[in-house]
Amino acid sequence: MDYKLDDLKVWDDKIIELAKKNKLDWFDINYEVIDYQEMIGAMVHHGMPSMYSHWSFGKSFEQTMNRYNVGTEGLPYELIINADPSIAYLMRDNPLYLQILIMAHCIGHSDFFKNNRMFKNTRPASVIQRLRAAKKRIQGYVENQHIGIDKVEKTIDACQALQFQTTKYGQERRPHSEIYAEYVEEINNDKDGRYTNFNLDLYPLEPDYDLLGFIEENANIPDWQRDIVHVCREEGQYFWPQIQTKVINEGWASFQHYNLCHELELPDELHLPIIKMHNAVVRPHIGSINPYHLGFHLFKKIKERHGIEECFLAREVCYDASFLRQYLTEEDCVELNLFSYSTKKTLGATVDDVSDERGWKEVKEDLIAQVAGGSIPIIYVDEIKRDKMLIIRHEHEGRDLELKHANEVVEYVKYLWNGPVKFYTMIEDEPWEID
Amino acid sequence: MSIFREHKTVADRTASDRRRHKQKIEKAIKDGIHHIVADESIISKDGKQKYRIPVRGIKEYRFVYGSNGKQVGSAPGKDIKRGQKIGDPPPKEQGGQPNKASGDKGEEYYDIEITHEELAEYLFAELKLPELQKKQLANIENEKLKRKGYRSRGIMPRLDRKKSAIARIKRMKAAGFDPDAAGENETFSFHEDDLVYRHYKMEKKPCTNAVIFFVMDVSGSMSQEKKFLARSFYFLLYQFLRLKYETIDIVFISHDTTAKEVNEKDFFEKASTGGTKASTALTLANEIIDKKYHPSAWNIYMFQCSDGDNFQEDNQKFLEEIKKFESYAQLYGYCEIEPEVSWISDSGKLFQLLRPMRSNKLKLVRIQKKEEVWSSFLDLIGKNSKENV
Repeated sequence: MDYKLDDLKVWDDKIIELAKKNKLDWFDINYEVIDYQEMIGAMVHHGMPSMYSHWSFGKSFEQTMNRYNVGTEGLPYELIINADPSIAYLMRDNPLYLQILIMAHCIGHSDFFKNNRMFKNTRPASVIQRLRAAKKRIQGYVENQHIGIDKVEKTIDACQALQFQTTKYGQERRPHSEIYAEYVEEINNDKDGRYTNFNLDLYPLEPDYDLLGFIEENANIPDWQRDIVHVCREEGQYFWPQIQTKVINEGWASFQHYNLCHELELPDELHLPIIKMHNAVVRPHIGSINPYHLGFHLFKKIKERHGIEECFLAREVCYDASFLRQYLTEEDCVELNLFSYSTKKTLGATVDDVSDERGWKEVKEDLIAQVAGGSIPIIYVDEIKRDKMLIIRHEHEGRDLELKHANEVVEYVKYLWNGPVKFYTMIEDEPWEID
Repeated sequence: MSIFREHKTVADRTASDRRRHKQKIEKAIKDGIHHIVADESIISKDGKQKYRIPVRGIKEYRFVYGSNGKQVGSAPGKDIKRGQKIGDPPPKEQGGQPNKASGDKGEEYYDIEITHEELAEYLFAELKLPELQKKQLANIENEKLKRKGYRSRGIMPRLDRKKSAIARIKRMKAAGFDPDAAGENETFSFHEDDLVYRHYKMEKKPCTNAVIFFVMDVSGSMSQEKKFLARSFYFLLYQFLRLKYETIDIVFISHDTTAKEVNEKDFFEKASTGGTKASTALTLANEIIDKKYHPSAWNIYMFQCSDGDNFQEDNQKFLEEIKKFESYAQLYGYCEIEPEVSWISDSGKLFQLLRPMRSNKLKLVRIQKKEEVWSSFLDLIGKNSKENV
């Protein structure tokens, strides 16, 4: 290492000064300087200092080790969490220019976490403590001879399978009594007979898209299991905003590191490798979407077309779908040469639409459908029938589910619900039932 | 303002998760071991080596979409047209049949890291090593007493008189007692605290050097299974001797009608279809001993695997060379792996030939399947694992 910790502080102070001038507003960052092995470990835990134990993290470790031995995409070893104060990791062996780039990038992320409204309910000031407490409790269940590791593990397996079948904005669950009262009100004021046959005994009264929350509230399971469901659900809710904002978040952070590094007046021996690294990070990936590329491109264009104020507005109110819908123009689609493709049974992967005059809108819609957690199917609770049978449905919007996975997940739902379950979806335009 | 912290963690935060993960895919690892032992150089690598073996991981299931959805890609500067093919067609099983009967969407394989110790452990489990023997194997060491510092307690033979005397004098000076000025009956006696004893510690000290000759008959065909058997066998022997000796040299000799010293890779991979002259290997080994490994400085071992017969005319020479080798060596082990048995006898010619020469130093074993590797290994090193070698 040709620099010391104090050198990093000096550069960070300069970056902070410039960032403040640029009206950025972020959670203070605590940087942890760690080595390669620890970095992989931290990444596997999504940057959290404490995480409950589960074999999936072991698996993740081996896979991540593989990936980083082979090559990297995006900014190498960038890791920062949504917390107040925030924690970010710097790898000890990284050259100075890379640390500077990463620190500038991190300020962008921290500013995004603090200001983007998708993150409003993530409770960043307490997330680390909550996870640490959860880890302790779960460890207690493992060591409890009446429970033990196998049951705990199976429960976590099941919860992780359903982790993102929960609310996206961390909103509170509405109590049944409240919804019931509303419907009673509607029925009493029913002038045009809309609620004539409405069955007030339905439970839930409306489709409940928070599957994990429903299970936590209503399943007949022991308290320790309910607690694990609660922990995993909170974790899912905590990470949902990050899933929804991958493009805009990386775009914003790249936009910030780009501006800050230019304003830093760096000597050539630092400035040139930073430019080179930046270009590598935001280069397009042929055949897929690089969130750094797309996000950075858009922020540059927004600044050009609408001014810097609009950029700040976007970073506050948008998530990936609205970001693209609002700001991705035909010109962008053409410049980025976006195209959509799908895999046919016998033909393989072929191009469906390209960004010409008649196709660009379709391509844009396809892109919007795939971002912001668009690859996570929507599942809801329909009702509980007699004998405690749980009816859950897939809200089909055109894409069929992968059946082997679906079958396995339904088994997990049965385990957590601790009762019979029927699952309905559509496969190739025909109703399909799994039980 | 940011805070910077150098993090020097001793604990590995994912260690227990990785252990648990390994436990869960133990079966996949053992299946993978088969390949690593068959393919990788495991004998000539040193103990600190780590291996990455591909294993079929545990699948994690979530609600996901099948493959009929649309995806968007970006290709600036490239010419993309509607209908253009951009990938290979999906594998045959999915074609024609609707998604309903789909098999796994491509089993996920990834590398998992195991240490040399874990390799040995998984291998031993694969070979059905009884638990007790595993421990014995780990404990075969020579122990020696070694000097290590001083203690204030001990046994009389270990009393260090000089140091004890010095301690007394120090105490005397501190008390202000002047022996010269003292009267005849005034003495300053020894106190228990003055006494200093020499301290010894039991230290495991491997004794000197060993050279192992691994000899293989490559005139027959070496299938994956046979390679696995031979290599596991050699690996066990190597592990066993490694615990006894500080330095171990390994010499790989493969032969058909001529013998050659090779590296581990070629040793297990080469195969030829010539005849067999086993004596050539022994001759070469003896030559190497004369050149590099004087029996007074080296403990010499040879383990020979064969799956075939030997040329009749060569038998005499073979016996002569064996006798010569025996005079230098600690142990010669001959192992028959899945012999090509003739209709007449139930063991290969070499086995028969060596039978009358069986002794403490010359052992014969047979291995036909992996369950026999361990018992043959025990036979070879002698059931009494504490024998002086």
